[in-house]
Amino acid sequence: MPRIRKALITAAGPQQRRLPLQSLTDRDGATKPALAIILDEMLAAGIEQVGLVLRPGDRPAYEALLAPYASHLVYLEQPKPNGYGDAVRCGRDFVGAEPFLLQVSDHLYVSRSAKSCTTQLLELAEAEACSISAVQATHESLLRFYGTVSGSLVPGRTGLYLIDNVIEKPTPTMAEQQCVVPGLRSGHYLCFFGMHVLGPVVFTLLDEAAAAARGERFTLTPTLAHLASREKYLAAELAGRRADLEAPFGLLRAQIALGLHGSSREEVLALLAEELAVDSGRR
Amino acid sequence: MDDRLLALVRGASPDRSAAPSPSGDRSFEALCRSASRADLERMAADLDAWRRTADNFYHRVRAIFLLAAIHRYFLPPHFASASASGSKIPFSGVKLCLERRFEEAIAIFLEQQRSDGSSDPLSSALASAYQGLAFKTLAQQVQKTVRHVRGNQWMFRMGHPLDYPLRVRPELLEGASDGPRPVLCEETAVRLDLSHAAWSDIFFLGMDYPEGAKVLNLSVNLAVHQSRGAETLQARIETEKSKIAPAPPVCAFLRVIDEPVLRLTSIDLGATVDITTIEEVFDFAKDYLGLLKAAVIAAGIVPAGLEGSGHALSEILTRLCGPGLGLEIASQVRDIPKGSRLAVSTNLLGCLIAVAMRATGQTSSLTGALTESERRTIASRAILGEWLGGSGGGWQDSGGVWPGIKLIEGELAQPGDTEHGTSRGRLLPRHTLLDAEAAAATTRRELQDSLILVHGGMSQNVGPILEMVTEKYLLKLEREWAARQEAQEILRQILAALRAGDIARVAELTTRNFFGPIQAIIPWASNAYTERLITEIREALGPVFRGFIMLGGMSGGGMGFFVDPAHKPAARARILEIMQRTKRELQHALPFAMDPVVYDFEINEAGSSARLRTGTEAMFSPEYYLFMVPRWLRQDPRSLPRSHRAELDRFAGRHLFSTGDRPLVAPLMQRILPPPADKTPDGASLRDLLAANGFDSIQHEQIRADLRAGRIGLAQNRLPSTTTIEDVREGDVAEMELRNTLAGARNDDASASGAAALRAGRVAVITLAAGAGSRWTQGAGTVKALHPFAKLAGRHRSFLEVHLAKSRRISRAFGAPVPHVFTTSHLTHGPTDAFLRAHRNFDYPGRVWLSPGRSIGLRLVPMARDLRFAWEEMPHQQLDPQKEKVRQSLHKALIDWAANLGEASDYTDNTPLQCLHPVGHWYEIANLLLNGTLRQMLAAHPQLEHLLLHNIDTLGADLDAAVLGRHLVDGATFTSEVIRRRVDDRGGGLARVGGQLRLIEGLALAREEDEFKLTFYNTATMWLRIDALLTLFGLDRASLGDADRVAAGVRALAAKMPTYVTLKDVRKRWGNGQEDILPVAQFEKLWGDMTALHDVPVRYLAVPRTRGQQLKDQAQLDGWLRDGSAAAIEALCEF
Repeated sequence: MPRIRKALITAAGPQQRRLPLQSLTDRDGATKPALAIILDEMLAAGIEQVGLVLRPGDRPAYEALLAPYASHLVYLEQPKPNGYGDAVRCGRDFVGAEPFLLQVSDHLYVSRSAKSCTTQLLELAEAEACSISAVQATHESLLRFYGTVSGSLVPGRTGLYLIDNVIEKPTPTMAEQQCVVPGLRSGHYLCFFGMHVLGPVVFTLLDEAAAAARGERFTLTPTLAHLASREKYLAAELAGRRADLEAPFGLLRAQIALGLHGSSREEVLALLAEELAVDSGRR
Repeated sequence: MDDRLLALVRGASPDRSAAPSPSGDRSFEALCRSASRADLERMAADLDAWRRTADNFYHRVRAIFLLAAIHRYFLPPHFASASASGSKIPFSGVKLCLERRFEEAIAIFLEQQRSDGSSDPLSSALASAYQGLAFKTLAQQVQKTVRHVRGNQWMFRMGHPLDYPLRVRPELLEGASDGPRPVLCEETAVRLDLSHAAWSDIFFLGMDYPEGAKVLNLSVNLAVHQSRGAETLQARIETEKSKIAPAPPVCAFLRVIDEPVLRLTSIDLGATVDITTIEEVFDFAKDYLGLLKAAVIAAGIVPAGLEGSGHALSEILTRLCGPGLGLEIASQVRDIPKGSRLAVSTNLLGCLIAVAMRATGQTSSLTGALTESERRTIASRAILGEWLGGSGGGWQDSGGVWPGIKLIEGELAQPGDTEHGTSRGRLLPRHTLLDAEAAAATTRRELQDSLILVHGGMSQNVGPILEMVTEKYLLKLEREWAARQEAQEILRQILAALRAGDIARVAELTTRNFFGPIQAIIPWASNAYTERLITEIREALGPVFRGFIMLGGMSGGGMGFFVDPAHKPAARARILEIMQRTKRELQHALPFAMDPVVYDFEINEAGSSARLRTGTEAMFSPEYYLFMVPRWLRQDPRSLPRSHRAELDRFAGRHLFSTGDRPLVAPLMQRILPPPADKTPDGASLRDLLAANGFDSIQHEQIRADLRAGRIGLAQNRLPSTTTIEDVREGDVAEMELRNTLAGARNDDASASGAAALRAGRVAVITLAAGAGSRWTQGAGTVKALHPFAKLAGRHRSFLEVHLAKSRRISRAFGAPVPHVFTTSHLTHGPTDAFLRAHRNFDYPGRVWLSPGRSIGLRLVPMARDLRFAWEEMPHQQLDPQKEKVRQSLHKALIDWAANLGEASDYTDNTPLQCLHPVGHWYEIANLLLNGTLRQMLAAHPQLEHLLLHNIDTLGADLDAAVLGRHLVDGATFTSEVIRRRVDDRGGGLARVGGQLRLIEGLALAREEDEFKLTFYNTATMWLRIDALLTLFGLDRASLGDADRVAAGVRALAAKMPTYVTLKDVRKRWGNGQEDILPVAQFEKLWGDMTALHDVPVRYLAVPRTRGQQLKDQAQLDGWLRDGSAAAIEALCEF
């Protein structure tokens, strides 16, 4: 697979529109919008151009906050809220015939290794020369938030899976029947991390999905399931964690995670300890 | 281990992948029959050692069943000649069996066998323990598999509300503020099986032999054919024109409500509850909502892992629906009576699970049809739900969830399946829908037009039959195996006939199936009622009749008759008429729950499907409101929730004041102001019956007072714990060996004098037939004497007929007709009299007398103290943990029932006949004196000197010349027959009580273990010397005519007899074929206590088991047939 130069970030979802602009303190102690943290990680991993998919009318707010990144950014517009699949399809012309990195704008990634999560995924994709999605083992009570994959371990590799199928937000019943992957803790499934490297063929499949949807909303998951049935498509557990800003207390958790993995770790710990002490005193 | 035995255990082929079959050259039966006692003992030892190390689950279970069979059927004949073998059954082992700790029990019995040698009692205990172990092992395996089926596991893991994963679909939350919330309505068919290839859908069979597990079943819609009111045949044919169209028989409704409760309602059972705690969801037997609760759990709404977690149900409901919201789920069976053999309850469970899964996003679509994988999930959840609720069906039962006609087949377990490595087959079968080529539309229509579905009205428990099938399958009996192969071939031919569009051939095949393989495996699948119906209908319809089909596990309830479609309306009316007439004739002999009905049916081509009712349509069924509205109206209007008020308005607007096709004003008024209760079917009130049957109200009040004060009761039945109970001593019992007992066969003095007495007509037979036989039909209130319980000499015979046939044989052999008396009671007299008249006494050569009851009791609501004593203090057979849980929940509910109704108050809430009770068989002998029967007998036969007294269910008791001779030679007043105790012989025996040799009732024994000290069990068969008996009553032949003296004599002797309080089960029928089984208290005096009188010479004879065996429970019948007892009884009879 050629080197991956381009990335798409979707920020057109109804809940996503303002979240990426929330300020957080990053690992180095600098306060910046969440999206800027994502962009920094991408650029550091070697991405040159980032397409940002927005709702009509949202662009000025983003431009104002992301001015320092202007040279790397291309603003794309999703005219109608026709689902995540449609949002990705809006990046078709920007991406062209290259493989690309796809991320959502409301997730932050906290790596446990020296390499960022984005770097880990890009390296794997280039080495394996195929589409690859980052996944995280997730408890069954949270399945309703994520696309979930079924597959088998690639022989001799840790944390790398060959995807058989992808199911959008399965119930535990369906997950247990179709998504059990050997080696995980019971009740845990491989759920999308919000970070994919996909080949340009995805756009062809998305076109088919759009045609079938006839103007209605469509998601990306069936297209990824289709992809898995057509070609080698891997899932990788990265050394890192996802922080979903949209989840209840999502921003708080993301901030704590960033703080604990950065230069201000001790300060954050002290802060947490103080809060706990005050709370236990109150009880 | 012997190679032949090893091959048998493994099922012919040592290759585990091959289907098991009986060994080619020698079957297990052949091997055992030719083996000596030593060979059999060695085989048993080898098998027992082998099973402990066998790694294959089914081989292990089969070895256990083989061990049970060796001890039950093949070793006992070898003990018969060794009458001295006298090892007792260790009570510690019996107790372990009751606790379901069978392995430990077996160890104790084997230890005893090692020290005392093998014996009949020990073999009976081992047979029972091995059988218990085999079924326990099988059940555990199925339960484990059900839990481990993918899609079910998470529900057992989930133990905290924070992990709770389900949310209701947003569509169900719409419309709260301005209108009603949407109602999700699911409708499901029931299944009708054209063939189940000899019960091959039993889990154990399908999982061991998936190749043979095949069922062809139809999803059907039903309507009860509305001609019940029509009096004449012509009127019935006329009503054909105004029939109600068949609809899916079961439906379920679900909606979100504005209260944080789980509201469950069974519309047809008339029960509703607002559940607020998780514990209550798991309390299955508390009310009639167990099925809905099981569905809520199996659908994952309240996952099984939450049981006992201590969390609040509101936490779950908040996560599921939102703060302050809850769910209402209602189920409805549309006029289909219980026992239809159409798996109504399993399909209702499937329907409820489907609606709950749809509502919580566990299916891809909220409405419409289901996908194949969703249907499979529902089927596996239904199995889980049935296990939770303590019931169980076959794997085809949820077939109504699928559409049309389908072939359901077992599947081989594959690597990766949870079943793989344990069983050969998967738990869940594969469903293949028959397409237009396999069954064309015209064929389907012809099938509908040819088949008349009926409910014969009988209610029976199919459980014992399924156990028999399992056991016989695993033993690989030759006859069973051949029949099973034939059943599979018949199923293949039915498929071919459907493909060819030949419904007449289908009818021929289902008839062959019923009379061939089904009855070859389980004769009890048929009964006298069914066979009489088939014969009469075949005769009445002539060439129009095409065949019969048994539905489900047994016949008598749901069944079908194939007819020429051109004559269906007339045939249907004729069939209904024949069923109703036959039912009327047999209703006292067989347990009927309802009048027979005929259904209209059609094939359901949609399967389970759902609709969302929104806006003004967002309502449950009209029947729901007929049930709920009266309840709402009874509430204070100020406390009635706003949602109910709004719903009342909608109901009124839609159903009461509109001009729809089904006005509900009249039915609603009937619900609000119910009409007065009808009189009993025969028109007699309880008061009339009490007056007519010698009810002693003074004694009754005394008993009530004693019961309430605790002076009598179950605990007080017992002798003081200081009483010494010892086994018999040497010389207490004389052994009788019977070979051929007919005249001239034996030359000893005793036989000769017995034969002489018979020739001189000095003996009469008294058959005690006044009891209700509660155990026989679990309190159905039928007359046991009239029950055509088994085929003997070619057709079904009743107990009464068998007893007369024995007396006929003796009468002929000795040239003197034997007078035969049947004692009766209020419950049995009328039906017995009518039965004898109808059959002209079966052309019995001698005089047949009926001795009607002259004493009667009124049943009482039991004391909670006695219920607790019976259920908590007395040893009883534990069930598997889930069933035990359900039973305990039921016991709690019944104790509450007794307390609420009033302990020791009169039990009058049932048909009058079910409220009365006979007062024990002591009075049946006293009644012979009181009602003048004995006086008349002596007047007609002055030479009479002796009576043979026996129970209706002691089939082997006859006027054996040798036994009679012993009675005559010994000269005792009473000669009592006893048998060596087997493990199932419970209820007392022969003992030395405080040194005195006497019969003692089990309920009088202070300690349960005392019973197992006693070598001999009381058969309740006794020879009486008439004059000595009269003396005991202070009477003689001359004074029998003096009613006052007789009454005084009876009263004086009765005062010396202890009174026992007992609990009996009675069935209360209600609704549409529904039955409750309730415990009631009654009192009894028992004849065996006469042996405790100090001045009476009693002699005890130990007789062979075939002579003394009693049939108390229908589940005994199969063993009774297989061990040769039936043939032995047949040999005593002359029909």
